[in-house]
Amino acid sequence: MGIKTFIIAEVEQGAISKETYELVSFAGTLSERRPVIIVLGRDIEAQAKEVAGKTGCDTIAVSGEHLELYNTQAYSEAIMDVIRPDSPCCVCIGHTSMGYDLAPFIAVKQNAACITAVESVHGGLFSRAICSGRFTEDIIPETESVVVTILPGAFPQCNSEPKGSGSLITVKATLPKRKSRTFAVTESLYRDHALKDAEVIVSAGRGVGKKENISLIKTLASVFPKSAVGASRSVCDLGWLEYNHQIGTTGQSVSPRLYIACGISGAIQHVSGMKDSQNIMAINTDPNAAIFRVAHWCIVEDLTTFIPIFIEELKKSIP
Amino acid sequence: MKILVCVKQVPDSCETLHIHEPTGWIANLPSAVFRMNRFDEFAVEESLLIKERLPGTVAHALSVGPKRVNSTIRRALEMGADHGIHILYPDAGYISPYTVATLITTYARTKDYDLILAGIMAEDDMACQTGQLIAALMDLPYTTSVISSEIDDEAGEIVVGREIEGGRRLMVRFELPAVLTIQSGINTPRYPSLSNVMRARSQQHEVIRAEDLGIPQVRETCAGLRLPDSASMGTFIEGSPREKARKMIQVLHEKAFLP
Repeated sequence: MGIKTFIIAEVEQGAISKETYELVSFAGTLSERRPVIIVLGRDIEAQAKEVAGKTGCDTIAVSGEHLELYNTQAYSEAIMDVIRPDSPCCVCIGHTSMGYDLAPFIAVKQNAACITAVESVHGGLFSRAICSGRFTEDIIPETESVVVTILPGAFPQCNSEPKGSGSLITVKATLPKRKSRTFAVTESLYRDHALKDAEVIVSAGRGVGKKENISLIKTLASVFPKSAVGASRSVCDLGWLEYNHQIGTTGQSVSPRLYIACGISGAIQHVSGMKDSQNIMAINTDPNAAIFRVAHWCIVEDLTTFIPIFIEELKKSIP
Repeated sequence: MKILVCVKQVPDSCETLHIHEPTGWIANLPSAVFRMNRFDEFAVEESLLIKERLPGTVAHALSVGPKRVNSTIRRALEMGADHGIHILYPDAGYISPYTVATLITTYARTKDYDLILAGIMAEDDMACQTGQLIAALMDLPYTTSVISSEIDDEAGEIVVGREIEGGRRLMVRFELPAVLTIQSGINTPRYPSLSNVMRARSQQHEVIRAEDLGIPQVRETCAGLRLPDSASMGTFIEGSPREKARKMIQVLHEKAFLP
């Protein structure tokens, strides 16, 4: 048996997100009891049926016109209406813009520990990365109820064929007295086909040190055919490159044949946007940098001295 | 308008940090350099931009932590905040976001802030929790990852853009008071002016001991830090810089990345 577990599903472009299926795997490591999946949206029964069928988990579809676009208050109150009678419990959400927004609220209302961006769990310890992935922190909840957000990609999607579909309960969410209202969603202002189409991406992180050194990154990129220049978020925030170069959670996701990460620490916000690259080469002064855990070739050097040498040797090697 | 900005002090660089084995926490080296969490700099700047737009606005900067965090509060004052509040929490080890949020809430509850701002997360613990916890404890509307904000002073409302995956934005309208956590890139944090530096140097911070506010019972504890499970599948290229370059170029030729 074990504690009752709820999964807050996420819907992406009309379909249940892959992170939702990852949460089902994660919940399986916590408790033998099948989790209950909660799906929210304007008219969400079809998606709820899909997830109940694929996972065999009992599913609650909460629908309401005010749930069409994600809104913290609308979603959190609808969720609390469903789980409140069932405390204590464990609530699992993806560590997405929705998940980290909701989780602390639910934790406060459930008197639960809140543990975010969890990557693994063993023996009651929830492990998460801190300091841009330099250390792993092991957290022990001291409460009956726990709310966790799970890092996307940390667990495999559940894919075992269930014995049968889970039951489906449909609930109509009541319209709360609202202090906030989500009224629109706008597309990204920054879409760059150069990144999507590139076979080789050379990316700059904060470790390039100063804006003038971006020229090194551009020169390195220019050596390769079909190449483009990428950047971590902080490089864009500093104004060293425009946001259309940004790779990561809030930027673009890329998977080129070759990704060269220059001075990038390897924080998960960046790594999630480039880890599917076929070949990854990383240059960083810190041998313990998290980027070296996803890189195929690791070079511990200062890029300001290494890249000029690299380009010099490269030019010699090309007939 | 009365604004509270929550700022956290973080180590200047994670590269130089080490685990202190007896405590399982980050070693407290005398040479360690600390500074304001970068996400909080954007929150401070946002409060100052509101101050410039709406005359009569005051911005208070608050930090929870040991004595050393007073330099981060001073930094907020140097940028232009009006008043500094230091909740003195002597233990420099793990402090859970819940503890921090409870202390801030206890302080702020009676102060009638119209807006409470914080960075979206801290660079060190990357928890993304404190702002939301404050809002939930105070029963205020909130949102995270704010990348644009516009105050409608007459209506007592604020319209924000919330950055979500892939750079898309959800547009949200709020009644004030509200809590917002600020995403980096919303503005360009300013450098302190000389006059503000002079002012901040002599300005006293309001210091409150955490025990006097009441330290809440913990909801989770930290069993310690460790180096990540070594999952590196990669090869460290060895040699002098020139040897490394040659080895790497050979690999790139073999893989046909180069003509």
